Amino acid sequence: MPVRAPEPSSGDIHDLEPQQFLEEVHSFEFWFQAVEGYLSGLTWGHRPDTPDEPLVPADRERLISVLCNYCVGETAALEGSSGLIAIAPNRLSKIFLSTQVADEGRHLEVFVRRLRDLGVADPEAEIERRASRSLLLFKRRLLELVASKDWEAAIFAQNVILESLEFVVFTSHAEDADPVTAEVLKAVIKDERRHIGFGENELGRRLADSPHSRARIAQIRKELDHLVLDTLEETSGNIGLDRSEHDRLGRVYLESVERLGLLR
Amino acid sequence: MADFLSAYSIQRWLESCPQGYLVNTEYGHETGEEEPELLYSNEVIHEDAIRTTVQLVVGERCALAASSGLINAAPDEASKRFLATQTLDEARHVEVFTQRLYDLGVRKDELTDVINRYANPNLVKFAEILLEKVDKKDFIAGVVGQNIVLEGLAFSVFEMMHAMNADMNAKFAHTLSGTIADERRHVGFGENRIGSLIKTHPEKKSEVERMQKDMSYFMLATFADGFRNNETAAELDRIGEGRAHADFHGKDLGVMSPEEMEGLLADTVLKEFKVRLERVGIEYQTPSRP
Repeated sequence: MPVRAPEPSSGDIHDLEPQQFLEEVHSFEFWFQAVEGYLSGLTWGHRPDTPDEPLVPADRERLISVLCNYCVGETAALEGSSGLIAIAPNRLSKIFLSTQVADEGRHLEVFVRRLRDLGVADPEAEIERRASRSLLLFKRRLLELVASKDWEAAIFAQNVILESLEFVVFTSHAEDADPVTAEVLKAVIKDERRHIGFGENELGRRLADSPHSRARIAQIRKELDHLVLDTLEETSGNIGLDRSEHDRLGRVYLESVERLGLLR
Repeated sequence: MADFLSAYSIQRWLESCPQGYLVNTEYGHETGEEEPELLYSNEVIHEDAIRTTVQLVVGERCALAASSGLINAAPDEASKRFLATQTLDEARHVEVFTQRLYDLGVRKDELTDVINRYANPNLVKFAEILLEKVDKKDFIAGVVGQNIVLEGLAFSVFEMMHAMNADMNAKFAHTLSGTIADERRHVGFGENRIGSLIKTHPEKKSEVERMQKDMSYFMLATFADGFRNNETAAELDRIGEGRAHADFHGKDLGVMSPEEMEGLLADTVLKEFKVRLERVGIEYQTPSRP
């Protein structure tokens, strides 16, 4: 005779068994509850009544360059995470990645919208014109890893390296940005935190059991680090960070990658 | 094109879907709703509920693979962003129908076996035709196959199932109504986006028409397997349980035989295909009947 499924668990998710924990945090339901909290009431990533202070021309120009490169990064993340769904090893990872796809699409949309607010008439053309060469190279390499169906390498490039880079840059930028850009960035950062968590968890479990994979991923890291650090340098300049802050961001990025035990 | 795509932005999706018709839902239905007792207590009806739900999971997995795969083939950024929302919609559908299998008593460690056991081979072939186009990054064929053929099929099937369950199983009917709202948006995007692309790529028409004919055949074969081997109606009669007198396109589903229901559903879906395909400039191809 058929039996009923057990009642869903309640309480703190960190008390759950490892598999059940993954079932929870990789689900649409979890994403749904999370974004409901911080996207509710926002339009194009910010509160509609947040004052959009006029920027002096030089600051506006720099912000446009920064946002164009954020769009390149988010397009890479959108195309990367959507491609990863096809090669994800299980249903839970596919569902998590679909939430990430929608997040990345949203980020791209809010940054493009911000460019329009700043008076950019054709954002797609402007993005192409101002895109950083090292970021474009990174994007190309990421999509090659996805196309080659190399799950570990692609998830490393996407959810550890790219997301860590975005996390440190956005966090730093949000501290000094104009009020609208700061709000847009703060909501994006909350998503990035979830994406990094998935990457570290997924990869951490795999690397712990496989010295061969660790060596292979370390090699990929070596290849990508200089592209990331070049991008970081360029973006830091556009955001207007001083040298010590730029160096600090570089260290934060390297530390976040090294949490996986991938030393340079 | 830009104006029509602005109606498919992520902002609009957030407002209408997660912050709209999905508010206060849990796995697509209201908190606390349960499947009717008969689905647990009667072996024949229970197995049929699992078999039917497995087909929904298989269809939605195909839609998830197709919509995510089409993002990288999309020719413009706004289409990529719409497909990002569709990807998440499809993953949600996979999740809510998978959860229904769990609610029906399928254990997590037997999910794969249950899906392999009950998945209809004709539905799998239907999915393979579409995914082959997606693998080749063929955006036009992929969007027609996904957003007009597959979504059009899902839309009518879900509507029929919703009609049958509205009075008998509020939990499942609520789950279906959220997915129907999503499918309506997906079909709308497909029609709007493909019309302009077909005009600029008329050489694609014959290939797309062939794909529609092939997919339609396997869809009809899936219906034939599903209805002709269905024992639920006979079982309900045997145990003296009445069927819901639900209206679907002017017919009372409560008095129709499974074969008549198969014919009604097939005609409904094929008529919809014809109308939608003609709207985008593609000539509907009549499939052979299994």
